[in-house]
Amino acid sequence: MKYIQLFFQYAAQYMKTRLTYRTDMVVEILSDLMSQAVNFVFILLVFGHTTMISGWSREEIIFIYGFFLVPFAIFGAFFNIWDFNERYIVKGEMDRILTRPIHSLFQIVLERMELESLFGVITGIAVMLYAGSLLDLQIAWYDPFVFVLLVLGGALVYASIFVLIASISFWSDSPTSIMPMMYNIGNYGRYPVNIYNNVIRFVLTWILPFAFVGVYPAAYFLGREDWYMYAFLTPVIGLVFFAFSIFMWNVGVTKYRGAGN
Amino acid sequence: MENMIEVKELRKEFKSHSSRSGLKGAFRDLLTRNYKVVPAVKDISFSVKRGEMVGYIGENGAGKSTSIKMLTGILTPTSGTVRVNGMDPHKEREEFVRSIGVVFGQRSQLWWDIAVQESFRLLKKVYNVPDDVYHAHMNHVIESLDIAPLLDKPVRKLSLGQRMRCELAAALLHNPPLLFLDEPTIGLDVLVKLKIRKFLKEINAKYNTTVLLTTHDLSDIEALCERVVMLDEGQIIYDGQLSSLRSNWGEGKQIEFQFADTAVTKEILQPLLAEMDAAWTPGDRENVWIANVLNEEHVISEVIGRVVAAHKITDLKVHEISIEDIIRNIYEEGMTNG
Repeated sequence: MKYIQLFFQYAAQYMKTRLTYRTDMVVEILSDLMSQAVNFVFILLVFGHTTMISGWSREEIIFIYGFFLVPFAIFGAFFNIWDFNERYIVKGEMDRILTRPIHSLFQIVLERMELESLFGVITGIAVMLYAGSLLDLQIAWYDPFVFVLLVLGGALVYASIFVLIASISFWSDSPTSIMPMMYNIGNYGRYPVNIYNNVIRFVLTWILPFAFVGVYPAAYFLGREDWYMYAFLTPVIGLVFFAFSIFMWNVGVTKYRGAGN
Repeated sequence: MENMIEVKELRKEFKSHSSRSGLKGAFRDLLTRNYKVVPAVKDISFSVKRGEMVGYIGENGAGKSTSIKMLTGILTPTSGTVRVNGMDPHKEREEFVRSIGVVFGQRSQLWWDIAVQESFRLLKKVYNVPDDVYHAHMNHVIESLDIAPLLDKPVRKLSLGQRMRCELAAALLHNPPLLFLDEPTIGLDVLVKLKIRKFLKEINAKYNTTVLLTTHDLSDIEALCERVVMLDEGQIIYDGQLSSLRSNWGEGKQIEFQFADTAVTKEILQPLLAEMDAAWTPGDRENVWIANVLNEEHVISEVIGRVVAAHKITDLKVHEISIEDIIRNIYEEGMTNG
């Protein structure tokens, strides 16, 4: 309860600060939209030459992409901690975090949040509605609830992988280079995993489960019954991985060495 | 009186890997790494009573920061026990840090971009301080530190002295029984220093706040602390009253003469101190010579009498050896007669 209150306090403060730097905010939102548009055009270009990829039509792939944008936006708003090592370990900001009576990861989430990212949710839903109307998808009354559940699961998957990588900073000095690589691998999750070979599919399902951010949960809405099992596993995988990443984080904090003064 | 801080055989080791030389060495490093265990704090023990103000001093790398970070729950000790305010700092970290206030002079607790009062408001939520308690306490703090005019300015626009006063107020926002201050007066001008010292004394008297202070500025410690704990190479080399440090080590006095005659040299002055336990050293200006003598009345009178009888002087000062000199001596000579 206290954490929820704190969250809103920080969020209000964040908005206040952002509104004083209005141009920055507009530029950021525009650049987000640009990168989403580029990805969208890429999908259209690929399908300029073919109509089906491994049994998926152009509209379905666009739908998956739209779904992917939603958990990714939530992840980007709260768990964008790619610079954790630089900012908190090397510069010693972690010292300050650890002298406050709130869970250290939660404080970092509060400090690093970028609420502009949440515009991605709108883009994502718009893309899904567009693709969904082309596909003539029906929306059942419970679908919005399932949607929220699967989105949260997907966001947790993404978050836990980045928290795990950030936790490595407590032991080793140089995980910074892994972060950009993870962003790339993360992108694989927004295409149907059966277009990759089996090893990659296995990795994306069970090791770095990015497939649970895009294609698996989206398959539910596309009515792909053979993939339902994976779709419903999404929240489970999200919770399991997230719990594990929090555990590793907590262990990591006890290994924190501090920055030399 | 109960102990606020109890440290027993506290030890912290850091593993650092030493790389081998040359390309061949680099390849061997890939396979097996050479780890060297470097102890930063070596089995120190001490305790601090509630309401005490203790100076914690030592040169860079003596283990000051490392031990303070263990006391504040930031670092996990390698071995030994720490009880601070009846809690184990790193195991019950979130509960524990409610009872401490921390000022790290080099690092800001406040949010850079937002007004000071917004920072206070967020911290108030973080520490869950009720409104009435907050107002009663903070109005006093804000007034004593004279920061009311700064409250609506963003931290990045404050001068160092202004920022430091706000940092101190932020650290005391939840009125903690224990305050850790790491270099709180670094780079501040004299007036701000005095203000901060006066405020700390006030807080200590009013709330019986325990204060652990590290600083390079020994005048802070002289002004605030009766007791000092001195570290060197990870070990405590002195723990006791500041006054006994002075009486054990700073036995002598310095008598500074400014001579009217410009031709005075050490050779001319030397015979004056014959058969006395004293020595001349040149002063920091021309014609100024300092006699280092024992702190005994008849010796001081005798030296002054002889010098004044033999030479015309324009000025005369008697100094006590400063704490700074004493501490420098201890570090240079080791703790032999202490």
